[in-house]
Amino acid sequence: MSEQKIFAGVDVGSATAKAVLIDETGTMLGTSVIASGGNLADAAQRCLALAAEGAGVAPDACAAVVATGYGRERVEARHRAVTEITCHARGALTLFPEARSVVDIGGQDSKAIALDERGRVLRFEMNDKCAAGTGRFLEVMARLLEIELDELGGRAMHATAPVTISSTCTVFAESEVISHLARNQRIDDIIAGLCNAIASRVFGLASRARLIAPTIMTGGVARNQGVVKAMEALLGAPISVPETPQIVGAYGAALIARESQKKKE
Amino acid sequence: MDMTALMNPFEKVASDYYGYAREAAAGGRKVAGFMCSYAPQELLHAAGYLPIRILGREGDTHRADELLQAFSCSFARSVLDSALEGEWPFLDLIMFSHTCDTMQNVADLWRAHTPDTEVLIASVPTRTDGDAPLRYYMAELERLKAKLEAKTGPITDERLAASLQVYNDHRAAMNELYALRTAKPGLLSGARMMQIYVSAFLMDRAEHLALVREVIAALNAAEDAGDASLPRVFVAGGMCRHVGFIELMEAAGCVVVGDDLCVGSRSFAPGDGSASTPIEALARAYLGRIPCPAFHRDGRQPGDALVEMAQRDKADGVIFLLTNFCDPVAFDYVPQKDALEAAGIPALSLSVEQHREPPEQLRTRVAAFAEMLREGVNA
Repeated sequence: MSEQKIFAGVDVGSATAKAVLIDETGTMLGTSVIASGGNLADAAQRCLALAAEGAGVAPDACAAVVATGYGRERVEARHRAVTEITCHARGALTLFPEARSVVDIGGQDSKAIALDERGRVLRFEMNDKCAAGTGRFLEVMARLLEIELDELGGRAMHATAPVTISSTCTVFAESEVISHLARNQRIDDIIAGLCNAIASRVFGLASRARLIAPTIMTGGVARNQGVVKAMEALLGAPISVPETPQIVGAYGAALIARESQKKKE
Repeated sequence: MDMTALMNPFEKVASDYYGYAREAAAGGRKVAGFMCSYAPQELLHAAGYLPIRILGREGDTHRADELLQAFSCSFARSVLDSALEGEWPFLDLIMFSHTCDTMQNVADLWRAHTPDTEVLIASVPTRTDGDAPLRYYMAELERLKAKLEAKTGPITDERLAASLQVYNDHRAAMNELYALRTAKPGLLSGARMMQIYVSAFLMDRAEHLALVREVIAALNAAEDAGDASLPRVFVAGGMCRHVGFIELMEAAGCVVVGDDLCVGSRSFAPGDGSASTPIEALARAYLGRIPCPAFHRDGRQPGDALVEMAQRDKADGVIFLLTNFCDPVAFDYVPQKDALEAAGIPALSLSVEQHREPPEQLRTRVAAFAEMLREGVNA
């Protein structure tokens, strides 16, 4: 049993709650991703317990817990709440020290974050009031097309002539998809069109934030290769995606928990 | 220092915008509304009116929506809706200034749909510098003066000079208050400061002046023990009267140290004093200001004045409050943001709907901006 202190980050997003436990060296000991559901406080507790279980420690063994995500104020175990902008920047930068920008597409919002040479947030842009072009958009479309969410990206890679989806409003895009289906368009081409629509929307944010390469993509939607490829085409540069992009915010939060503990000492 | 007691009269007015005017009208005072900080309020005051600024309100705008297109801003929508609903029966007249096409058309709609309230338009020259705009605006003020005299009797030079004095004294006091607050932000929150400047437009100016002087005396006498490590934020943009936005910034750990809002500091710019008649002094007071985005001046760079103000107030960052569909302000925003960045001052923009409280999503944006500034402040 190590004598090292343990730190946790809990990221309660609109779709999923994530937790990451790290040790003093920043090594990940345990992670978890669960659905946020209707009770955010409960989801926060459960995902922290799951990550602790994975790490083989008691849930209350953490020296400091930083909460982030839109449910950050609902995390009862938190010592501090930090916004997801700061946490995603910190997490991405630790995984990819060369990173100068982060694109995060979550369940109901997307952000483009520019970093300076020292990894501090320089500028950021977030999607406006509505959740167009986010994870929720893909969830609705997957249900409509009767395809698993995780399969969308792979299917998009098989497109030969992607359709154009002109609206990123989920409701209007849904009716566009239905008309494409009615015209007997290939499903893969429709999916690629949906991925392009998200990328185009987020590229608008990226341009306003004047992102500099190299860019890291985080958040659940980064698991969708179709969106990543479409973003790469628009940015004109390759994008790096962490192995588990959903947990980057929680990882960043855990790193901040470790730093604030150090400062205290 | 009992700031809570000092704040009571301002809070009362700021929580019920038109209550003061309603009571004054019930007591027999004539009330004139004005729409924009460029309306020559001194002229209304000299004519014996209580001038109050029309600021809109929370709530849906169904009746105005019938008359306006989607590109009209929420301020236009809100004020027109109140007029159509008859919410301001105490107004004898309403004075517009020609600031943008939307407001010009709202003036026409007001005239067409609420015949009981006289509509006056102060045509402020779009170019505010040079001799021709000055002569034009002096003639325009004479025209408005004659209109008002036809309603309420002669406005002598003495009366106009006396009104100018009240407004100039008030401007000077407000600038003193701004400077004190910027130096001691821990003593008076940005939210309270907004209640003070918003209420200036909604009550008798001399009465407001006396209350402001009490606050100044209290601030002078007290030491600021506030947290000096908090990031200092300057608020830019056009029209925003929502204390909720300032509260959002302060809840995120920012100290609001100054503003360039048209309900705020922009309205308290001092006149230049080099005039031979009260009308000329009035014209110079309005044309001599740093032009608001709806007006122009030769060689003016929209970013210069903002950078200067932010640096004067030692701001670590600037938050723009931009009303959706307000194009004069939106056009200036881009060069202003670029000028701030060139000066090393980060900026964030938030979109404002004049008839709604700030939406919850903005909380994360402001908190993230505060975190970003704090890293810079403590680096």
